[in-house]
Amino acid sequence: MVGWRWRALRTYISASRAGNGDCWRGVLAASILGLSAAVHAACPPDAADGTVVRKGDLLLAYRLASGAGRLPMAQHFALEVQLCDKDGVSAARLHKADATMPEHRHGMNYRPAITPLSGGRFRVEGMMLHMAGHWQLSFEVLAGKENLRLSHDVQVD
Amino acid sequence: MTCRSIEPLLKRLGLAALLALAATACAGADKPEFTAAELSRIAAHGPWPLPWMADPGNRVSGNASAIRLGYALFFEPRLSANRRVACASCHDPARGFQDGRTVARGLVTGTRNTPGLLNVRHQRWFGWDGGHDNLWSASLRPILDPREMGGKASRVARVLRSKSTLDCHYAGAFGKRPDAGDPELLVNVAKAIAAWQETRGSPATPFDEFRDALQRGDAQTAAAYPAAAQRGLRIFVGRGQCATCHAGPLFSNGEFGDIGMPFFIKPNGVDPGRQGGIKRLLANPYNLLGAYNDDATRNNATGTKFLRPEHRNFGEFKVPSLRNLTLTAPYMHNGSLATLREVVRHYSELDEDRLHADGERILKPLHLSEEESSDLVAFLESLSPAAPLPAPVVPPIVAACR
Repeated sequence: MVGWRWRALRTYISASRAGNGDCWRGVLAASILGLSAAVHAACPPDAADGTVVRKGDLLLAYRLASGAGRLPMAQHFALEVQLCDKDGVSAARLHKADATMPEHRHGMNYRPAITPLSGGRFRVEGMMLHMAGHWQLSFEVLAGKENLRLSHDVQVD
Repeated sequence: MTCRSIEPLLKRLGLAALLALAATACAGADKPEFTAAELSRIAAHGPWPLPWMADPGNRVSGNASAIRLGYALFFEPRLSANRRVACASCHDPARGFQDGRTVARGLVTGTRNTPGLLNVRHQRWFGWDGGHDNLWSASLRPILDPREMGGKASRVARVLRSKSTLDCHYAGAFGKRPDAGDPELLVNVAKAIAAWQETRGSPATPFDEFRDALQRGDAQTAAAYPAAAQRGLRIFVGRGQCATCHAGPLFSNGEFGDIGMPFFIKPNGVDPGRQGGIKRLLANPYNLLGAYNDDATRNNATGTKFLRPEHRNFGEFKVPSLRNLTLTAPYMHNGSLATLREVVRHYSELDEDRLHADGERILKPLHLSEEESSDLVAFLESLSPAAPLPAPVVPPIVAACR
């Protein structure tokens, strides 16, 4: 679990023990904990973070923002992406997400946009896999000066 | 009656039962046994009909006054410059809201086949080139287009004020009287026409009954689906790869493709298809990124917001729904194929040299036999209702306008 989560947890526990004087600090810490649980930004990623792709020390987890299990066909969807490395949350930046059908030699009809969130998380919007078949999702991550490309094959029905 | 006396009868009944069983087996011999993967693909084409949902971009979607007004205006020829062309002139309800012509004929003859309007609520893009991202915008274009109806705001306002029921339903839907000087007049009229079109859906077909029977394990009902259609279905979801694009309950992924159809227009023009459609869409003040979208969240504008124009869009046209095909001949964006057999022949003998160099790479000639072509046609025909569609029910006049 990342450091700030630990700090929030410790604050919440100590405020609970101290009584009313630290009540608001406790409420705030509890809120932060609740929020972090809702978005589930964990390093290293676990099953709740979706599919995990590795490149060297970098771990990229992606899942549907809707919470659904399978990537839909011919419908727009958004992804939540979590980047981790061996130290926990990665400072790397996701700067491109895309998808192609290698056998068809074409990509998506849409250009996704990436919004950075906190804690090594990113939201990718505007994805659509418009045909049934084999797709390759690709993610480009800037880690320091290095541009890393991670890909993952999916079958869409 | 003794046992001995009924013995000959039992023998005859037994023989009859055996004969019946054999006949069933023979009839079933030419029906395919679908694999689990095929059954899964077949299931993905249903259930049907899809649930109706209001259009968040159209605040009068589902509004009774708007639906009644839209119905009246859809059949109203006075909206056009020569007072003789209505929406229904090309979108004939008896033909699945198509006209049966090769290309549309409004005030002048056009260059594209008229798309049918059944199930139009479930589409993402409108028109063969997807030049519109919403139904009301797509409904406004032909009213104003000088080649189709050649209408204008003053004429529309005059028509609305000419009948108390039109005037009243407009006021009921939009909370104000129709005024030619109102910049919202035209888009309101288009939203009312869209509200009526959204109510036009098609019923379940023989394919849907088969698909549902397979889902619930009802072999008796499934057996009523013709063997030829079943064999055609197997080609459709299998080796034909038709379902790659003609996917889901609508039998369309709602996107665009180049299938090697000519895009030349006589005498010297070309139809750029999706490439031109994207340009028109992004320049259109009535698109979902504009001020007239009634969805304040703009969540319904995702497709337009993230569009990625590509070279390959030139010559791409919308993947049409395959429902109600028997009502909507001729086929393709230019109406150049008169029958479903010609459509199947197109894919069977596909000329790969006509496909874009940077276009789709899954299209290969299917090289179907005559029997296989007939089977595929039988399947495609089973995507239309078994009985003729009744004329649309006239939406009731709302109480306040009686």
